[in-house]
Amino acid sequence: MPVSPIVKISNLDKFFGRLHVLKNISLEVPERQVICLIGRSGSGKSTLLRCINFLEEPSRGKIEVDGIQVDAEGKGKEQRKLIHDVRLKTGMVFQEFNLFPHMSVLENVIEGPVTVKGMDRKHAIELAEQNLDSVGMLFKKDEYPLRLSGGQKQRVAIARALTMEPRVMLFDEPTSALDPELIGEVLNVMKKVATEGMTMIVVTHEMGFARDVADRVIVMSDGELIEDANPDELFSNPKDPRTQALIDRYRSGEQ
Amino acid sequence: MASITNEGQMPASQAELLYQAQLRKERVFRMHVGISWGVLFLILIFLFSGQHIEFGGFTFKTINVDSEFIFKNITFIAGGLGQTLLISVLSILFAIVMALFAALGRLSKFPPIYALSTFYVSLIRGTPLYLQIFFFFLALPQLGIVLSGIVSGVLALGLNYGAYMSETFRAGLSSVGKGQREAAMALGMTPGQTMMRIVLPQALRFAIPPMGNDFISMTKDSALVSATGFVHELMWRATKVGRAQFNSLEALIMAAMFYWVMTLILTYFQSKLEARLSKGDR
Repeated sequence: MPVSPIVKISNLDKFFGRLHVLKNISLEVPERQVICLIGRSGSGKSTLLRCINFLEEPSRGKIEVDGIQVDAEGKGKEQRKLIHDVRLKTGMVFQEFNLFPHMSVLENVIEGPVTVKGMDRKHAIELAEQNLDSVGMLFKKDEYPLRLSGGQKQRVAIARALTMEPRVMLFDEPTSALDPELIGEVLNVMKKVATEGMTMIVVTHEMGFARDVADRVIVMSDGELIEDANPDELFSNPKDPRTQALIDRYRSGEQ
Repeated sequence: MASITNEGQMPASQAELLYQAQLRKERVFRMHVGISWGVLFLILIFLFSGQHIEFGGFTFKTINVDSEFIFKNITFIAGGLGQTLLISVLSILFAIVMALFAALGRLSKFPPIYALSTFYVSLIRGTPLYLQIFFFFLALPQLGIVLSGIVSGVLALGLNYGAYMSETFRAGLSSVGKGQREAAMALGMTPGQTMMRIVLPQALRFAIPPMGNDFISMTKDSALVSATGFVHELMWRATKVGRAQFNSLEALIMAAMFYWVMTLILTYFQSKLEARLSKGDR
C-alpha cells in the first residue's frame, strides 16, 4: 500500500507580474525520498522550491507538507498560521548561506529553536552541538560567520536547518556560491543527511550528486516538469530532447 | 603569501624594510600635519594678541582682546557646558526614537503609517530648525500649551534630528540583505521576531557611526535654543555677558573655543568607536 506523500504540490501556478513562471505543477514526494530538481537557469526550479515554504507566494494551487494543506489563495490570520506551520516542517538551505553575521556559529544554530519554538536554551545547545558535530563544525562553534570559509558556512547553515528538526529539507543551489574545492565537503554532508533518512528536495547543478544520491531527478523547463525519472534512467536514456541538451551541456562543462 | 613556490617572492627582510619605510612615511606625514596645526593655532593667537608692529613706516595692529574680561567671565560661560550637553543628550535620545519609528514607518506596507512617516520627515525637513524651536516656545502658548525653554528646545531638536536621522536608519535597515530576512522567515520567525532579532541589531551597528556625527552637530545646533532666552547654555551665557559689557568679541571667542574643544573631544571618541565597530566580530 503506498504511503501518503510528505510533500504534495497540486496544480501550482506562479506569476511574476505577467510572466508565468510555474505552469500548473503537480508533484508528490514520498517520505525519505531525495529529489534533485535540475534545469537551466530561469526554468523555475528555485521558484518552485521557494513556493514550498512560501518564501515565494504561489499564485494558485495547493501545497501540502506533512498533512498541513495550504491553499495559495488563502488569506488572513488563518493563512499566516498555516504558512508558519509549514515552515516549521521544512528546513531551508540557501545558495548564499544567509548565516546571521552578528551571532556566533552556536547562536546561529540555536536561534530558531529558542526564538521560534521556545525551546529551553540548554536543550537547544545540546541539540545544536550534536548537529554541528555531525556536519563537522563543532570546533568552530564560538566563531563568527565572517571567519568561516564558504563550505564551512554552508555546513553551519545545514546544521541550523536540521536543529529545527524539520520533516523535509529544501536546498536551493547549496553549492553554487562555493569555490570548486569547497563543494565536496558540503555535498558529503548532504549525502550524510540523505542516508540518515531525511526527505530532501535539492535544486542543483551537481550532476554527480544527482546521479549518486538522488532517488529521483526532475527536469524543469519554462515552468514545467518535463521529465521525472530515477537518475540511472534519466541520465542514460533521456526521453525529452531538452533533457538531452541539458545533460550534454553539463557533460561538456565537466570536462 | 599563499603561493606555494618561493619564486618571484622577495626575501622577508626586504619586504619588512619596505613596510617599515611605508610606516615611517605615514608617521612623518602625521607629524607635519600636527606641526602645521600648531603654527596655524599660533597665528590665530597672534591675531588676537593686541600687538603693535612697526614695519617699514607702517604700524600693524593685531586685535586686542580684553583679557581681564575673559578671566572674570570664563567660569560663568563655562557654566553653560552642562546645559549644552544636557540638551544635546536628551535631544539625541528623543531623535533616535523618532528616527526609528520614521524609518520603520517608511518600510510599512500599511498606507497610513507610510504616509505618516513621510509626512513627518517632509514637514520637518521643509522648515527651518530655528522656526521649529520658536514654534514650540512662542506659538504653542497661544493654544494654551506652555513649554519651558529646555522642553521646547529638546522637542524641536529631537523632532528635527529625528527626521534627518531616519534616513540613516533607513539606510541601515536596507543594508541588511533580503537573504537575512528569508533565512529568519524560513526558520519560522514572525515579522516582529525577524525585525528584533535579525534586522535591527545589524541595522543599528551600521547606523552607529553616523549617529555619532549627528550627536556632534547636535551639540552645536543646541546653541539655537539660546534664542528662547530661558536656557542658560553656552551661547546664551556668551551673548548675555558680551552684550551687557560690550565685550561680545571676547565672549563669543570663549564660547567658540568651548564648542570647538567639546567637538574635538567627541570626535576623538567617535573615531575610537568607529574603529572598534569596524573591526568587531561581524
